Amino acid sequence: MNIRIPSLALMLAVATPCLANAADYNVQPGSTLGFTSNFQGSSFDGQFNKWTAAISYDAAKLASSKFDVTVDLATAKTGDNDRDSALPGADFFNVAKYPQAHFVTTAFHQQGSQVIADGMLTLRGVTKPVSLNVTFKPQGSGATLDVTGTVKRLDFGVGGGQYADTSVIGPDVKVKAHLVLSAK
Amino acid sequence: MSLRSNGHQWGSVAKFFHWIVALGILGNGVWGLLMTGMAPSINKINIYALHKSIGLTILALFALRLAWRLYDGAPPDEPMPRWQRVIAHATHVLLYGFILAMPLSGWLFNSLHGYPLQWFKLFNLPALAAKNDDLSHLAGDVHEWLFYLLLIVLVGHAGAALKHHFFDRDNVLRRMLPFARTRHGKTTSGELT
Repeated sequence: MNIRIPSLALMLAVATPCLANAADYNVQPGSTLGFTSNFQGSSFDGQFNKWTAAISYDAAKLASSKFDVTVDLATAKTGDNDRDSALPGADFFNVAKYPQAHFVTTAFHQQGSQVIADGMLTLRGVTKPVSLNVTFKPQGSGATLDVTGTVKRLDFGVGGGQYADTSVIGPDVKVKAHLVLSAK
Repeated sequence: MSLRSNGHQWGSVAKFFHWIVALGILGNGVWGLLMTGMAPSINKINIYALHKSIGLTILALFALRLAWRLYDGAPPDEPMPRWQRVIAHATHVLLYGFILAMPLSGWLFNSLHGYPLQWFKLFNLPALAAKNDDLSHLAGDVHEWLFYLLLIVLVGHAGAALKHHFFDRDNVLRRMLPFARTRHGKTTSGELT
């Protein structure tokens, strides 16, 4: 009987951090990070083929949830050779100088039934707030995580020089990610 | 000058269609040949977009022109040998074919390349075919060569008009010129064909 009390305390001590923190996940193959933009009145889709994400999430513990995403900008593909050779160039992503984009959440908040991740996006040397809609669905020990958001390309100087004309290239880029997650 | 064609000359609507399409095709063709050498830039994008918008306008004008021609008819031929009449009419049919084929081949080229097609930034038109890189090169060559062929036929068409004007001194050219008066006693007055 003497032994049980310290062991319970020990169990609580070990368990408490787990209760306070959101669960960590690994990103599985099948996950995608894409974007949709507009050129001459016609929308086109693109994908980043190389990116990493550290995901900690629990709908009941939003305060300790966190997304940290790094994107290899040179891996953007949109299905058009002209566009794909222009995107890494100095006028657009300027990957020679800024090879990666980085997004990290600063807070999560609830708007009605929708969870919104507020964070800071660093792209092309500019850091600005960007918010994403979060749809998290637990599945077994893992989950699927879908996020959508809108990035104003000119806020970050993507196509900011001669390509700034938004009647040719639309101002908004919709970002859309689908993550297949497994428990860490 | 009446809107409709009569026994002596073309009406102002037919003249308008003739000259605006001539100017459009020639201007847009030369424009198209010059623009292909440009380095990628927003100017290149805008210049190509303008070329496409003008081409689509010519296509629409051609449809209107054809409808007007069918409704309005044409003045009777000037007196000339039968072989000249046959060649003249064959040339007109050929030119109509080129006026139709130029914008359509451009539209097809644009579709095969996978580019959007917008009319003066106002609205988009659908693709005529799915993206196909190999066929796109072929369609681009066809689009260019059609213009060279058109130019050859055009030289014949304009050359014949000038020959009739300066050597035969008839009304073939005058009756299509915007503000010219027809020469008296040279034309056969008759019913519309």
